Amino acid sequence: MSTTAETAARGQPRRRMRVDGWRWGGRIFLVFMVLYTALPMIWMLLTSIKSGFAAMQFPPQWWPDQPTLASYQKLLDPQNSVGQDFLRFFWNSLFVSTATTMLSVIVAVPAAYAFSRFTFPGRNFLFFAVLLRNMFPAVIFLVPLFILMRAIGLVNTHGSLILTYLTFGLPLAIWLLKGFYDNIPVQLEQAARIDGATRFQAFILIVMPLSAPGIIATAIYSFIGAWNEYIYAYTFLSKNEQLTLPVGIQRFFSENTTDFPGLMAASFIMSVPVVVLFLVLQRYFVRALTEGAVKH
Amino acid sequence: MTILTGKTGTRGGLRPLLRKIWEHRADYAYVLPAIAVMLIVIAYPIYYTVELSFFNTPPGLQLRDKIFVGVDNYTAILSSEIFWKVTSNTLIWTLASTFIAFVLGFACALALHRDFVGRGVLRAILIIPWVISAVAASYIWKWIYHSDFGIIGAVLVQFGLADRPPNFIDSVSTVLPSLIVVNIWREFPFAMIMMMAGLQTVPDQLLRAAKVDGANAWQRFWHVTFPHLRNVSTVTILLLAVANFNSFIIPWIMTGGGPSNASHIWITHIYELAFGRQRWGVASAYSVLLFLILMMFGYFYVRALSGNERKDGSA
Amino acid sequence: MAHVVLKDLVKTYGSFKAVNEVSLTVNDGEFVALVGPSGCGKTTTLNLVAGLIPITSGDIVIGDRVVNDLDPKDRDIAMVFQNYALYPQKSVYKNLAFPLQMRKLPKDEIERKVKEAARVLDMTELLERKPRELSGGQQQRVALGRALVRDPAVFLMDEPLSNLDAKLRVQMRSEIKRFHQDLKATIIYVTHDQLEAVTMADRMAVMNGGYLQQYDSPAQVFAHPVNMFVASFIGSPAMSLVPLEASTTNGNIVLTGAERWSLELSPRNARKVARAATRKVVLGARHSTIKLHKSAVPGSVPAKAYTVEPTGDITFVQAFVSGAIVNVSVPPAIAVAPDEQIWLEFDQERMHLFDGETEMALEAD
Repeated sequence: MSTTAETAARGQPRRRMRVDGWRWGGRIFLVFMVLYTALPMIWMLLTSIKSGFAAMQFPPQWWPDQPTLASYQKLLDPQNSVGQDFLRFFWNSLFVSTATTMLSVIVAVPAAYAFSRFTFPGRNFLFFAVLLRNMFPAVIFLVPLFILMRAIGLVNTHGSLILTYLTFGLPLAIWLLKGFYDNIPVQLEQAARIDGATRFQAFILIVMPLSAPGIIATAIYSFIGAWNEYIYAYTFLSKNEQLTLPVGIQRFFSENTTDFPGLMAASFIMSVPVVVLFLVLQRYFVRALTEGAVKH
Repeated sequence: MTILTGKTGTRGGLRPLLRKIWEHRADYAYVLPAIAVMLIVIAYPIYYTVELSFFNTPPGLQLRDKIFVGVDNYTAILSSEIFWKVTSNTLIWTLASTFIAFVLGFACALALHRDFVGRGVLRAILIIPWVISAVAASYIWKWIYHSDFGIIGAVLVQFGLADRPPNFIDSVSTVLPSLIVVNIWREFPFAMIMMMAGLQTVPDQLLRAAKVDGANAWQRFWHVTFPHLRNVSTVTILLLAVANFNSFIIPWIMTGGGPSNASHIWITHIYELAFGRQRWGVASAYSVLLFLILMMFGYFYVRALSGNERKDGSA
Repeated sequence: MAHVVLKDLVKTYGSFKAVNEVSLTVNDGEFVALVGPSGCGKTTTLNLVAGLIPITSGDIVIGDRVVNDLDPKDRDIAMVFQNYALYPQKSVYKNLAFPLQMRKLPKDEIERKVKEAARVLDMTELLERKPRELSGGQQQRVALGRALVRDPAVFLMDEPLSNLDAKLRVQMRSEIKRFHQDLKATIIYVTHDQLEAVTMADRMAVMNGGYLQQYDSPAQVFAHPVNMFVASFIGSPAMSLVPLEASTTNGNIVLTGAERWSLELSPRNARKVARAATRKVVLGARHSTIKLHKSAVPGSVPAKAYTVEPTGDITFVQAFVSGAIVNVSVPPAIAVAPDEQIWLEFDQERMHLFDGETEMALEAD
């Protein structure tokens, strides 16, 4: 006993110094990364509260001389045409993203459950086929999908976007949720079925609530993916009143190339919903990744 | 249980397989919606892309008037000068972005692994770039890189490091690295989240055992942590590589591939061929080539993931 | 309460037979243990009775109904799982109420029954807790309560004690036994621990490799194992088995060991060996039926001590006899050293003889 205490006492100072070296390195590195991450966003915010004239100065005003919310007022004012357009883009994005998210969950949950619990022939093949979707870029599918959407009359509708967006979210959603279901002991469902539940009731009443973190995580993922999507929206939609935010902003500012405060304000407003959503729910996301994707 | 059924599946022959499929018919109902969506949005387009790549289709995409041209579209691509330029851009873009984003993300995950005051806040700040839209990111950085009023140029001039603001994205030599910086800015948080999740699965017992065995911090990382994270790392790197290989928005919005194709990568080039110049056949042929390359990635991806699967099964 | 009949029950996975023509009857109010090593098919059998997996062929009767194709919820059974399978998001109260809610009982009746079960199991103060806030023993009790509250025809228990620590296990063992006596419940209890089966069950069904080996009262199984598997599986420490050669000298049947010694058999044991079709005979003996001598006495065989394990009131000696390890218990006063030459005398009345080829017990008549 006394010998171990002695060695510990002797070992302690040396070890602590070495760990400290690593810790300091980590801290300096983190400071650097936070600057890299945050400075562009801070500059976006600072620019967005300048006037157009103040933004176009050299050397720049590091801190705006006369901060103004004019850009935000213009974008969010339903009375003028800019505000009307911007708000419409906003609602379009919200609609498309919400619909995509809900459909993703409805489609992914049963599929993930089946991949986790059942052993039907072709299970592995189908599972990996679904995962492979992640491999392919939008552009590969763009031309044929454009033709397909034209053929079934979905060009210039939000339906075309929702249908395509579904497929981005699905592979990851199914993968994550499958991991979740793998971790829920099958005995819980068996107990429920013995306690008088049907298979479906056992799923709805017992399994669903337990996989809620996974479902929330996949919902966030689908929502953010749909909210930020650009290529399909850019290609499938041409009518101004249907554009989603990313495309709308781009159209809008290609006509006003020098209105950087307006552009920064629009970028900020566009980022707020997803950033807030993610920050509020991020613990579910990390948990879902831990339990669903990378566990051993 | 899966192992057993797997065994019978391979030795069964067609009739028992069909019977098995019939016995499990109810199970398919669960996956049917997912598969149906995938078929419409993936299988059909793939078929169509392959077909279009052997035809010349009029700019208006009148499919009835398409003309069969054999492999002309493919030879046109391989003999064009821009193909090699775009390919080398794509390689530099993909490799540099993937490698640096992974290293930075992994390092952040390690630095954030130990609990300290403010860890949650730091983590949240570091994740934000991954969450915001690539369109917004492109505009933010376009403004930062602005050749007259960009903040980086202004800082360099202010500190006397340059006479006048440098052209970051209007110059052939600096445009690609500049865009890669933006791409990494948006992607390293993904690597960070994945590796953070992975780090949580490293068994404390092993680390403690290594400590008892006299391993220092670096040795513990190298002999215990890192091997344990091999699977997560592989999946993360593959996902990053695929995402980078497929990126579009950042170069498209920031430079549109310019100046003089210096920032064109495969995807932006294909997009311009198709929707800019209406050369559907060539664009489709490009897509097919891209598809073949991605299948290669896909092989490793599935292997990495099914490595995970096997582990799950045995655990 | 009801009786349960399994008739020629078969479950196959592809070409693998997990359960092989198992037939047994559990009487009304009887406590039957399914016991065997892991992978022997006991849990599969229980799941078949529960209806959690479909049967391949055979019949299952609960009460007076053939339940082969009924859903688990329609079989009027309750089950206690090894990992308790408590619904983690529900409080103890809601866990207990769940089976009653599923049966659409009125709210006040649910409350009455849950409170009653909680009182019986002495956990009224736990009702508002979540499962993760309970100790292992408490969780086990809640799982038992959830089965109890339903008042089912049959209780199925799948290794309910194996996640508990040793001390708690002994305590819960007597609680479950008490529970059975009070309720006169029909219980089918799966365990890999033969001691649990022996101490709790009215009858035990020993399984191995998907086959039912022996189905009898613990005393009978202990005293008359039908084959070498049952003999070595039931009892702790395990019965020692020594492969020997049978031969006839001077008209007497003797067993010969590798060291050339021979053991003369009692008339009854000789009859058993005479009826065997083979000369390869395995002698089985439990540690308490063997006497240890320091010198050769008539009827003893030479052995070499290998290890000596004092446990306090009894000392176990492992010794080599004809190449096989034999376990003997001696009073602590007798000192035996490793590698010491000793002699063992087997109690002919309580010794077991097995056919060396079929591994079945040899019968005298």
